Amino acid sequence: MKSFTYTITDPVGIHARPAGLLVKAAKAFAGAEITVSKGDKSAKATQLMKLMGLGIKGGDQVTVSVSGGDEEAAAAAMEDFFQNNL
Amino acid sequence: MDYRTCAQEIFRHVGGRENLVSAAHCATRLRLVIADNSKLDMKALEEIDGVKGVFSNAGQLQLILGTGTVNKVYDEFLAVSGMTAATKEEVKAAAAARQPLPKRMVKALGDVFVPILPAIVASGLIMGLLEGLCKAFPGLADSGTYTIFHLFSNAAFVFLPILVAVSSARVFGGNIFLGAVIGMIMIHTDLVNAWSVADYVASGTPIPTADVWFGLFNINLTGYQGHVIPVIIAVWIMCQIEKRLHKVVPEMLDLFITPLVTVCATGYLTLTVFGPVFSTLENWVLEGVQMLITIPFGIGAALMGAIYPLTVVCGVHHMYNVIEAGMLSSVGLNTWMPIASAANFAQGAACLAVALKTRERKTKALALPSAMSAALGITEPAIFGVNLRLVKPLVAGMIGGAAGSVVGSMFHIGATAYGVTGLFGFLTTTDYIVPYAIELAVSFVVAFAVSWFLYKEKAPEAAAPQTEDAPTLTCQPGVVYCPIQGKVIPMEEIPDDTFAAGVLGEGCGIEPAAGRVVAPFDGEVTTVAESKHAIGLSSPDGMELLIHVGINTVELDGKGFTLHCAEGDQVKAGQPLLDFDLDVIRQGGYSTTTAVLVTNSEDLGPVSVHTGDQFPLTPILTVNACVQAD
Repeated sequence: MKSFTYTITDPVGIHARPAGLLVKAAKAFAGAEITVSKGDKSAKATQLMKLMGLGIKGGDQVTVSVSGGDEEAAAAAMEDFFQNNL
Repeated sequence: MDYRTCAQEIFRHVGGRENLVSAAHCATRLRLVIADNSKLDMKALEEIDGVKGVFSNAGQLQLILGTGTVNKVYDEFLAVSGMTAATKEEVKAAAAARQPLPKRMVKALGDVFVPILPAIVASGLIMGLLEGLCKAFPGLADSGTYTIFHLFSNAAFVFLPILVAVSSARVFGGNIFLGAVIGMIMIHTDLVNAWSVADYVASGTPIPTADVWFGLFNINLTGYQGHVIPVIIAVWIMCQIEKRLHKVVPEMLDLFITPLVTVCATGYLTLTVFGPVFSTLENWVLEGVQMLITIPFGIGAALMGAIYPLTVVCGVHHMYNVIEAGMLSSVGLNTWMPIASAANFAQGAACLAVALKTRERKTKALALPSAMSAALGITEPAIFGVNLRLVKPLVAGMIGGAAGSVVGSMFHIGATAYGVTGLFGFLTTTDYIVPYAIELAVSFVVAFAVSWFLYKEKAPEAAAPQTEDAPTLTCQPGVVYCPIQGKVIPMEEIPDDTFAAGVLGEGCGIEPAAGRVVAPFDGEVTTVAESKHAIGLSSPDGMELLIHVGINTVELDGKGFTLHCAEGDQVKAGQPLLDFDLDVIRQGGYSTTTAVLVTNSEDLGPVSVHTGDQFPLTPILTVNACVQAD
């Protein structure tokens, strides 16, 4: 398993649009299970509603963990995605 | 790549015109609805230069062409195949074209003005108060406080064309920054300020000119301060040029060529064609009104009092200073001012009637300060913000203005200065205190009464059959019922690339006519955005639905939204979930188009949409998989 933490810089956080983009990015790695967590709440990166339900705002620290096939590539892609979009 | 060749190649391999049902495109894909998939030559389609991928999904053939390319291929494809277009602009244009032209123009004017009203109201009130206080306390004009506040008061008016230009560019779909540039060109400091033209004329100073169109004729280098209509027209032209260029200029050169040509062409046309036409019109109006007010027995004054606000709308009223200055220098008495004052005061009164009669909070909040500002002589907020949009109050104000002007003319009221009207007009009409009071009273009473009588509120928008007891509706599996009264549009027409491209799932958009979201099926509320603008629901038959009110409304951070549900609530179809204020969203500069998307459509399969004007609880989306599963 690989994981990284990231502090959200976009003040509005993970709302509908970035959540949708994140799901899209995550679905590219069908073999890997990607989880986004904030505090004790977590959601799979492929579940749009659950992601939005985390209520992640700017300044929040999130942990993204990846396990399963392709985890190196998936984790790198996720890190890229967070840095570019959030 | 050659867009036309690409389109021709695609057309060659899709089985002819009779195999095509419809064509549309999203941000990256050309989407063709095909009658018979067996007639497709998928292999050949994949090999076409420019086509990055092809797949067929439930009768829809999707060809991935990429951003910036797809729209051009699509245009060519329509031409090649002889199909008619159905892009969002054209559908919108077709819908809008059904309205009569004057109505469309008034609507455009309203759309342009509403977002900038706060700026004008603030400036109008400061300006009115300041001018009045100065006449009351003459020493004030020399103080530093005055200098500073005077700056605040006229900033929005001095630069009004820029505000109007930005807002117009947004309404007409152009780049707002290019719009701003056009506005700036029109009031550039190198041009003679429109408000100073009267002084130039009075003192006999020649206005600087420039030769244009290679010496064909000369134009006066005067600005457009205080103008509204010419700016809107100029920006409208700009948007047409810009949109046309985006279509014809190759994408690699788009960023260089389009802004350059747009600004040059629009700017030059504006100053050289528009300017002369407009200043000629202005002079005609000026000569016309000067003749008009010489008609005896108060008839001329009445006519002038009536048409005065129309000249304000057209932006020619600042030329009246020429008349007033002329009167003062020839006979020492300004008999124009009572007419202007009656007209302005009447607009305020008509606006006040709206403020008192309306039951809509928004209108009231807008009309009240606008009416006050008009009483102090600054009528732009009342005219553009309220009366013109509702039309009837404008007419009421015109009638009141005419009545007041007759009174003014009967008493031969004259002012000793120009520039102040309304309540502060007393300060320049000290020899006519009582007649002037009567004049204002007549204007006020007539305009107020007519406006009160004529202005009827439309039934509140949300008056759709929404009794509070839960509607009896048996939900069909796989059906999403309309959550908001309004016009259902295809997902591809949502003015946001992410939604339109289906990144968040398949579905539709709704252009809301009323600000209430009701539950679209029996189910559970799974998420509620902290900023209250989006709600996620799930149905027992496995649909996950996102209702996202407006575009980018996350930035409003809950302002204008009132929730009636919480995460985890079990809801029945038709139960109110969320109220939102359409005006707050519009004033924030956001689109109110609401996305209704099945977020797990990728797993469920195709979603069919029922577009058109819909009331709550008519079926709008059907998820075929869920229907069949049951």
